[in-house]
Amino acid sequence: MTVSRSRYLGAVITATLLVAGFLWWRSSSPSNSLGSNARVVPRRGGQLVASLRSDPRSFNRYVARDFTTDVVTLLTQDRLVRVNRSTFELEPRLAERWESSADGRTHTIHLRRGLAWSDGSPFSAADVLFSFDAVFDRRMESILASGLMVGGRPIRATSPDADTVVISFAGPSGPGIRLLDNLPIIPRHKLQPALAAGTLAKAWDTRTPPADLAGMGAFVLREYQPGQRLVLDRNPHYWRHAEGGTALPYLDRLVLEIVPDQNAELLRLQARAIDMTQDALRPEDFVAARRAEQQGALTMVELGVALDADAFWFCLKPDAKKTDPRFAFVQKPQFRQAISHAVDREEFAQTVFLGEAVPVWGPITSGNRQWFDPNVPRYPPDADKARGLLKEIGLEDRNGNGVVEDATGTEARFAVITQRGVSAYERGTTVLRERAARIGIALDIVPLEFGAMIQKMLASDYEAIYMKPISTDLDPAGNMDFWLSSGSAHIWNLEQKIPATEWEKRIDTLMLEQAASTDDRRRHELFNDVQRILAENLPVLYFAAPRTYSAHSTRVINVTPSVLRPPFLWNADLLAVTGVTNQPRASAP
Amino acid sequence: MKRAGATLLVTVACVALLAPFLAPNPPERRFQNLLYAPPTRVYIRQGGFRAPYIYEWRMVSRLERSFRESRVRPVPLRWFSDGRFVTAEPDAGAPLLLLGADAYGRDVFARVVYGSRLSLALAAVAAMLALIVGAVIGAVAGYAGGRLDDLLSRVSEFVLVLPSMYVALALRAVMPLVLPPSTVFVMLALIFALFGWPIVARGVRAIIASERQREYTTAARAAGAGPIRVLRQLIPAARGYLTVQGSLLIPAFILAEATMSYVGLGFPDTTATWGTMLQDAANVTLIVDAPWILAPAVGIFAVVLAVNLIVQGTGRAPVQLEK
Amino acid sequence: MIAFLIRRVLFAIVLVVFAASAALVLTRLAPGDVTSQLGPGATQAEIAATRARFALDRGPLAQWLSWAGRAARFDLGESFLYNRPVSPLVRSAALNTAVLAIVALVTATVLGLSCGVVTGSRHDTFAALIKAASFVSISIPPLLASLLLAFVAARTGWLPVGGMSSVNASEMSWGTWLSDVAWHLPLPVLALALPLAATFERLQSQSLAEAFQQPFVLAAVARGVPRTELILRHAWRVSLRAICGVYGIAIGALLSGSFVVEYVTAWPGLGRLMYEALRARDIYLVAGCAAMGSFFLALGTLAGDLLLAVVDPRVREADAT
Repeated sequence: MTVSRSRYLGAVITATLLVAGFLWWRSSSPSNSLGSNARVVPRRGGQLVASLRSDPRSFNRYVARDFTTDVVTLLTQDRLVRVNRSTFELEPRLAERWESSADGRTHTIHLRRGLAWSDGSPFSAADVLFSFDAVFDRRMESILASGLMVGGRPIRATSPDADTVVISFAGPSGPGIRLLDNLPIIPRHKLQPALAAGTLAKAWDTRTPPADLAGMGAFVLREYQPGQRLVLDRNPHYWRHAEGGTALPYLDRLVLEIVPDQNAELLRLQARAIDMTQDALRPEDFVAARRAEQQGALTMVELGVALDADAFWFCLKPDAKKTDPRFAFVQKPQFRQAISHAVDREEFAQTVFLGEAVPVWGPITSGNRQWFDPNVPRYPPDADKARGLLKEIGLEDRNGNGVVEDATGTEARFAVITQRGVSAYERGTTVLRERAARIGIALDIVPLEFGAMIQKMLASDYEAIYMKPISTDLDPAGNMDFWLSSGSAHIWNLEQKIPATEWEKRIDTLMLEQAASTDDRRRHELFNDVQRILAENLPVLYFAAPRTYSAHSTRVINVTPSVLRPPFLWNADLLAVTGVTNQPRASAP
Repeated sequence: MKRAGATLLVTVACVALLAPFLAPNPPERRFQNLLYAPPTRVYIRQGGFRAPYIYEWRMVSRLERSFRESRVRPVPLRWFSDGRFVTAEPDAGAPLLLLGADAYGRDVFARVVYGSRLSLALAAVAAMLALIVGAVIGAVAGYAGGRLDDLLSRVSEFVLVLPSMYVALALRAVMPLVLPPSTVFVMLALIFALFGWPIVARGVRAIIASERQREYTTAARAAGAGPIRVLRQLIPAARGYLTVQGSLLIPAFILAEATMSYVGLGFPDTTATWGTMLQDAANVTLIVDAPWILAPAVGIFAVVLAVNLIVQGTGRAPVQLEK
Repeated sequence: MIAFLIRRVLFAIVLVVFAASAALVLTRLAPGDVTSQLGPGATQAEIAATRARFALDRGPLAQWLSWAGRAARFDLGESFLYNRPVSPLVRSAALNTAVLAIVALVTATVLGLSCGVVTGSRHDTFAALIKAASFVSISIPPLLASLLLAFVAARTGWLPVGGMSSVNASEMSWGTWLSDVAWHLPLPVLALALPLAATFERLQSQSLAEAFQQPFVLAAVARGVPRTELILRHAWRVSLRAICGVYGIAIGALLSGSFVVEYVTAWPGLGRLMYEALRARDIYLVAGCAAMGSFFLALGTLAGDLLLAVVDPRVREADAT
């Protein structure tokens, strides 16, 4: 019994394996490889599936700033004007045209006529005024309010008639009308009662039935399945039309799948279960994506050089480091300059980003075309010069153990905290540590869990950090928290009452001036000065910014890529898919 | 079978002990241009037979992780030099990568043999602790029955219900930022033993509780044997379970070390351990291209196999049942 | 029997309270708090408001007291991540995990025990193959195993690569929806069941081999009882006791949700919820998930103990004392 049965079973197993192998081989080459999509005309219809990492915290953009909420708002709400994320030009949206006063403090905005909300109610200037009221409402405590202040005072809006809004600033503003890209317009007819009752901050949370939501955006939320997906349908009252006259959006339905794991997300993309992701590809995934592209499953898109680079800085808060003998030499710029000279940025780009990166010496990368200054002082790799700089401030290896000390014998040894689990950080800190060791600075890398790291950073309870601070705006006037010494994002020395150093004081002055200047050339001059000062004093070191790529399924056409997140969905009303017939799907009631 | 298992285990232990000797390269040494390099091919023929030699891997594309052998100059292998069993000529720029290189260009083989020390030692110590504590508590609970059994079982549930990650995070908060490896070792061993003993105890309890009703136990009690003496009679019944559970705990602890490391309670990043090596290998498309980064899993498999072969020695089915 | 059950229920309540409280306190002690989720641009006012909302400005004891007071009325607080009350969140996640867990448990039990019986009673190549598969399953970390399964699913297209339902699930009729979920089950079920089946196989194999040494089995062999009957009627029941001992823990662990599997396969379950809550230090959600998890563990160990009593009558006698 046993012998023949095991033989039989052995045969069954072998057969199963063969069949499985055969099926695998068959399915790894997709049967429908499409040719070039370059000249396919976008048509109305079809469904697109995009992936996101997490659930939305709310449907109320005025109180939640997480990425998913932001994406949903981009899809369902619209603004008066928009900064095109591909060309960085200002575009009219709900506003049709505008005139500005000579001093740039008053702007008369003419809204488009005859627009309607997604539920059919008419749109008018009253909604715009309502939005301004809501964002500055005390009880609301909206997170968007700070982005709409000029000269420390809220932007004021009045409306002489139903189609005109007059915006006035309390002082001159560099960004000007571009600030209005920060304000999604919300419906007065739905939310006025909540504002009056003071409960607007709690309105439109994720339990809200989709029928209670309304927006001017291209899509309408149809359903939210927590933990799984958001389903959005075309907004039948959307105001925008394509150049040929077709009513936008092209897509009938847009599904946002929630996929927490990045590896699984990539697998789904390759299997064409989803059409696009919201993150750039990691360098280690490029090859897999290219292979999929060659097989006709994906289209790879270059998004440009990333806007933010990984940064390395020491805690430079005097109060926190009073008793630390190392602070005496850490706070000297030569110390940081030496480290900058020690790192070979080409090697960094090769190791950390597998060659797909450009060296950077400041927080503004070449991806930010409008504000990047190529003349920022650079630090070519030069270990001898680095050691010379250290010697200049009294750091030498007196006892031959490979680590430099100062005259009192205090070693230049630091614990660098970083976020655990990010491969770019792991590789970056490895390179940094080795290069610093060559000039005698010992760095112990301590990867921490995200919450733990943030807590230490905010409490200034760290020696050095390696991570990527995210800038919130391309325009430096939108990042004042980073540049101003009193800012909450002035990472090396948070929220100073008075500037700790001369150069920080100088940067404060220059930044305030450039934020208030309406002369574009002057703003650039001032900001270039700021970048130069930062690069000379190096409170933060930057090494390389990756060239970012993303990939989407070949069935998606009419894509406008952007280096900002989300790379494709920011212009979702123009997205279309191939293979649609002219029969429109039954849309949502 | 038992002998095969013992041999395998002894081999693994020897490899671990002799790691600095057996590894051709230091485990932290990064070879910049050899990220994900495939294993070096060793040749022994060139015309006729000659001493083993290798060629240098030249990187063709960093992004595509493709390499070709540069046949310019054969690099001979050196034996018993530099304190190592075998290594390539140091100045030739062509390291001997028996199992290829990982994401940083580090020798996978060297990391596997060095990593075996920490991973195996930690897992063995923790498993021992968990087995001992679990066996004692489980035996007492199973034998005593009634209130004591209840109490001990509930205590074990209290421990089980504590999510290990929370405990680890809280511990991380109170510990200093940079921990010496010996502290980490002790801490991890204790944590693993703490979370491992309940499962041992429950199995032992079930066995002892059922054995307790057997005739030989009542006979022993009737003969006047005290509880300790009776327990000592009973525990061998749980021996098989303990050995199997031990063989399950060891790989679990090896892998759990990586989870602890994720929370920040692991060994310093440069230290190679099997758990963290596998954690880093979590990109599946990479595994297809560079399967050698799964080498630690093979190591764990070998250990599991060895332990199971040894364990299997006890309790073989009677001859009459086999055909 | 009744007294026994009442004792266990009472204890379960104590366990749940303990677990949730421990989670609450441990989350407080862990470095960082929920305000790190507010992002880089958060103002001091926003941070302070969030802290006040989650009682982080008060001491751990004060917070625990106010939480316990509300929890007694079944109000488990609010979640920061989802901006909604904790109880319904935890309940629906637990339901999703329960579906997965039950299927995985049945699969692992059937697979593990049957394979264990085979390897425990035979020593041919077939048994060796099964054992090797078991060892492989134990040696691979759950993260890798789930990813490899997902990879196979992606490459072959046989199964969906994650998720609990398809994209147009909301438009399906009940029947179609059920079969849709069933279609999404195999991937996470396999990821969960294979390691557990390997564990069961190992335990079953060992204890069955041991059971064969028992005198009554040898007597049955001498009597000429046929092989299958010997295994199933005589040796097997005895061999189950160790497994029943750990079965309860397996039930509890499965029902609490494996974070790794749910994360990789995007299954909206309790394990994933708990992990995300912990990452974000979403304190009330953490406590709620811990409460649910411990409830399942208590349930699981109770089930395991009852199973043990059924399987091994000798234990039942002992419990009666």
